[in-house]
Amino acid sequence: MMNHFTTIMKRELKVGFRNPWAYSFLALFVLFMLSMLLIHQQGYSTGYSGITGMLMNLTLYLLPLITLMLGAFSITGEKEDGSAALLYTYRLSMTSWLGGKYIGLLLVLLSIVTIGYSVTGIISSFTASGFTASVYALLFLFSVLLIAAFLAIAMVIGAIASTRWQALTYVIGIWFFFIIGWSPIMIALLGQLPYLWIKPLLTIATLFNPAEWIRVYIIAALGGGTIVGPEYYQWITWMTDPSGHIAFILLTIVYVLGCLSLAGWLWKRGRYNG
Amino acid sequence: MDNTKEQLESVAVENTFLQLDHISKSVASKQIVEPFTLSFTAGQIVALCGGNGAGKSSIIRMIAGLSKPTTGTISLNDLTIEQHPEQYFSSLGYMPDDYQFTGSFTAFESLKFWGELKQQSIERIRELLELVGLHETGNKKVHQFSKGMRQRLLLAQALLSKPALLLLDEPTNGLDPYWMKRFVSIIDEAARQGTIVLFSTHQLQVAEAVADHIVFLDQGQIKLSSSYKDIEQQYGEEGLQTAYEQLFWGEEGPMKRVRS
Repeated sequence: MMNHFTTIMKRELKVGFRNPWAYSFLALFVLFMLSMLLIHQQGYSTGYSGITGMLMNLTLYLLPLITLMLGAFSITGEKEDGSAALLYTYRLSMTSWLGGKYIGLLLVLLSIVTIGYSVTGIISSFTASGFTASVYALLFLFSVLLIAAFLAIAMVIGAIASTRWQALTYVIGIWFFFIIGWSPIMIALLGQLPYLWIKPLLTIATLFNPAEWIRVYIIAALGGGTIVGPEYYQWITWMTDPSGHIAFILLTIVYVLGCLSLAGWLWKRGRYNG
Repeated sequence: MDNTKEQLESVAVENTFLQLDHISKSVASKQIVEPFTLSFTAGQIVALCGGNGAGKSSIIRMIAGLSKPTTGTISLNDLTIEQHPEQYFSSLGYMPDDYQFTGSFTAFESLKFWGELKQQSIERIRELLELVGLHETGNKKVHQFSKGMRQRLLLAQALLSKPALLLLDEPTNGLDPYWMKRFVSIIDEAARQGTIVLFSTHQLQVAEAVADHIVFLDQGQIKLSSSYKDIEQQYGEEGLQTAYEQLFWGEEGPMKRVRS
């Protein structure tokens, strides 16, 4: 089984690094990071600032969308190409198949983001007013966590969609809902409820949207917890505590494993009914 | 090219038998394949013949485990897909009809990927590339390959684990006359080693050249299932063509109508 897992992962890495798309994304990401660095150099700040906030917001727009597209297209592409059907006759376990694809794609995306951060970091080290190391590390962690969580969602989309076009529709819908529409939808819905319900419901809702809890966590770690509002007061207190960090990492792992299990279940259910 | 026998030396189980028992398939209340029962034994080469939409690929996909039969059971040496999936699939080699290769991979890389999944050695991969005549172009990207070359690579993939049951969906599409002939000898040798070969085709000359059992299908219904020898005896020298014309267009047949 381990053999199958590594074989699938290695193929995903090869396909990823041979894809011209990966290099276009790398160029875009480096450009984006360098722009942020230039903006940052116009004023000096430590911890959470308007600049880091802007960098986080722009990362939130870019990374989940790219990750969702890459992940979902990778799975639906296998369906459209007939590769998924052929591999089914090879009797691969879901852990080998989806797990191998997930880790392979994760490594490709992490390599791109790491190169982007490294290039900017090296240039930043030559300038007087670059990002501080701790801020930079947290922003990198923010990108890594977003990729890990949204790639797992992409696996679910890939398991549901039959074609790349269908996957694109789902990707745009999910990205819009989680990234753009989340705040207005929450404000509109929770505003209709009794005041005492708002906080617990907001907490539960946040657990479904990785973009939201990762954002809140990183803002708290950057020391800007007050800007997310009083509803998150307990989260901020908890997240800055050592047990909060462990719980947060566990939450991310559980979310990723949950999505992969769901994708596996959907895949098994869908593939044998033709 | 004469080392086909060595390259195909099979681990196929002696006295292998494939049992298709009351198999049928319907999708959204439409009958795709009418119920049928057939069985085949080691060394048999079976051609599923018929026009477009006859149900050839549906039957192959069911036997390959890609589509669940609506009724009936499929077993290989009494092992069903549901109860013994590991053993069933490990005895299977499948060549799909609608496969798009990863264009950025070379032929060698593609076959190596499948070979690793089936725990096959690099030597075996080289052997098979040679068997299908791709050893010299093994380092070329598959997107540079012609349809026929891709088909040959897919055939090599199906032969990787020397399967007891070889399922080939339209394997000769895109093959030139030389490789059509080579295909016949490769399949013939695999059968001689004890493999059951079941392939679909709409090219009667291929069925005639290699198959020892013919199944004619039309709109999901088996019109005729008989040994090639019996068909030849019953319908004469151009047995398969005559049988096809009579089964599908009646006594007169479209060709005869055109001639007259």
